[in-house]
Amino acid sequence: MSIASQLHDLVRNGIRRIGEIEILTGLHDHAYVLCHYLDAERAADEGFGGLAVHTGAADARALSIHAADGSFRFIKAQVNLKRGWVLVLTDDEELRLALDHFYPAAVGLELARRKGVLEVEHLRDKLNRQTGMYRYARTISDEGAQQLVEQVCGPAHNCARRILWQLDADTPLEDNEASRYNGIVGDLGESHAIPLLCREACNHFVAECRKAAKREFDAKQARQEADG
Amino acid sequence: MPIAPKPHSALLIVGHGSTENPDSSNPYFDHADEIRRRGLFAEVHCCFWKEEPSMREALYMIDSPDVYVVPDFISEGYFTQEVIPRELRLNGPSTSVEGKTLHYCLPVGVHPSMTGLILRRAREVAPEVDPSQATLVITGHGTGLNQNSTKAIRDQVDQIIASGAGYAHVTDAYMEEAPFIAEWDRLSATPTVIVVPFFIADGLHSYQDIPVLLGIETETGPAASQREVFRHNPHHLRDKTLYYSSAIGAERLIADVILDQVRDFDLAHRSAAAV
Ligand code: SF4
Repeated sequence: MSIASQLHDLVRNGIRRIGEIEILTGLHDHAYVLCHYLDAERAADEGFGGLAVHTGAADARALSIHAADGSFRFIKAQVNLKRGWVLVLTDDEELRLALDHFYPAAVGLELARRKGVLEVEHLRDKLNRQTGMYRYARTISDEGAQQLVEQVCGPAHNCARRILWQLDADTPLEDNEASRYNGIVGDLGESHAIPLLCREACNHFVAECRKAAKREFDAKQARQEADG
Repeated sequence: MPIAPKPHSALLIVGHGSTENPDSSNPYFDHADEIRRRGLFAEVHCCFWKEEPSMREALYMIDSPDVYVVPDFISEGYFTQEVIPRELRLNGPSTSVEGKTLHYCLPVGVHPSMTGLILRRAREVAPEVDPSQATLVITGHGTGLNQNSTKAIRDQVDQIIASGAGYAHVTDAYMEEAPFIAEWDRLSATPTVIVVPFFIADGLHSYQDIPVLLGIETETGPAASQREVFRHNPHHLRDKTLYYSSAIGAERLIADVILDQVRDFDLAHRSAAAV
């Protein structure tokens, strides 16, 4: 079954949110209407409650590029999606395409997870295959990496993904707000939302690992010099 | 020759992307939309090195068991030879990965049809100019990670000269190595000069860095002048008339070059039956 038809079934069975997007069905006779979840009530009003009306999947990309403050959302799981619009879509395929613009590959990742075929890459594997200037990231200590998760990931740092990876197959992440986060924005249960999943650390995290590894190295050198 | 429809295959366009410049990924999505509209593939997707979806994640978006991977890069190099094969776990022209067969095509920029695109761009940006009275400058970054991109530009210059397009003079020029684009006026024997940046997307290089080197923008000009910089042709400076084009990769017809690479892959690697 195609991703679009599986998505269709998910929505029929109660899924209505992914990231900050609310998926509305049967609204004013449209197959699907998307909006920011905080605008969902307003969208149900006559004339979409005065929200700016967009149509077609391509507009999803335009709506997802910048946050309200104008910053570039190059990590799409950032919890700063613009409000004030609705996006009208005509069929399952358009819905799939639009959601892949808002949250690239997120639907496919969740479908794979449900089937038990999602391949997760642990942090050490991810770091060990870095080349060029990011090769150095692999020297980060376990301790340093655990700290970074807390400092970089999770909604407190503007990322709404649920972390699936560990440091390595035997070393789970320490329990904290970021590692515990379930990937669902707002107060909804698993049966109503597609969680945003982090199956491997992102480039931003790898870059932070590199910086932290460098700081660890400098600190060690300074200690050695002090010890004389 | 147009390519035959591939209703059971997906097309995956791989781009560099940027964490700083949101415009740099526009061309990839535009090319994807254009190809999608033509209905040639079961599905068309983009993935990136610096943006999302990542190459690894992209495979989860794809239904089709058969996937053509086309790097939207200007030349062979670090990305096409190391990063993309590593990320997508490719080990040859066709590789079986997680139940899919990935066909790895050559990068867009090395296809011979790029030459025609450059000439078209040059004509579009300076429609009233007689080529026999003008110098055509193909410009790129030069030095750095990838010597192949310099070679790709030199090859284009050779091909344009061989094509009989009729320009009085055709030359390459670079931001960071000789011949320097900053010396465009000295490189050009004619009073009229057309500069085409050989980049896959418009970005700081084509919006800002090269305009400054050409002398049509000041150092302090905001990067946000962006597309505006291409709208003021011709420029009259250094006693010459200068036409400056946007990056070749933003050209709509790159979609055709992507398809050309798919067709060439089939011709080189797949039996007639599979094509
Ligand atoms: S590593 Fe994953 S969870 Fe952490 S910031 Fe990057 S995308 Fe978000």
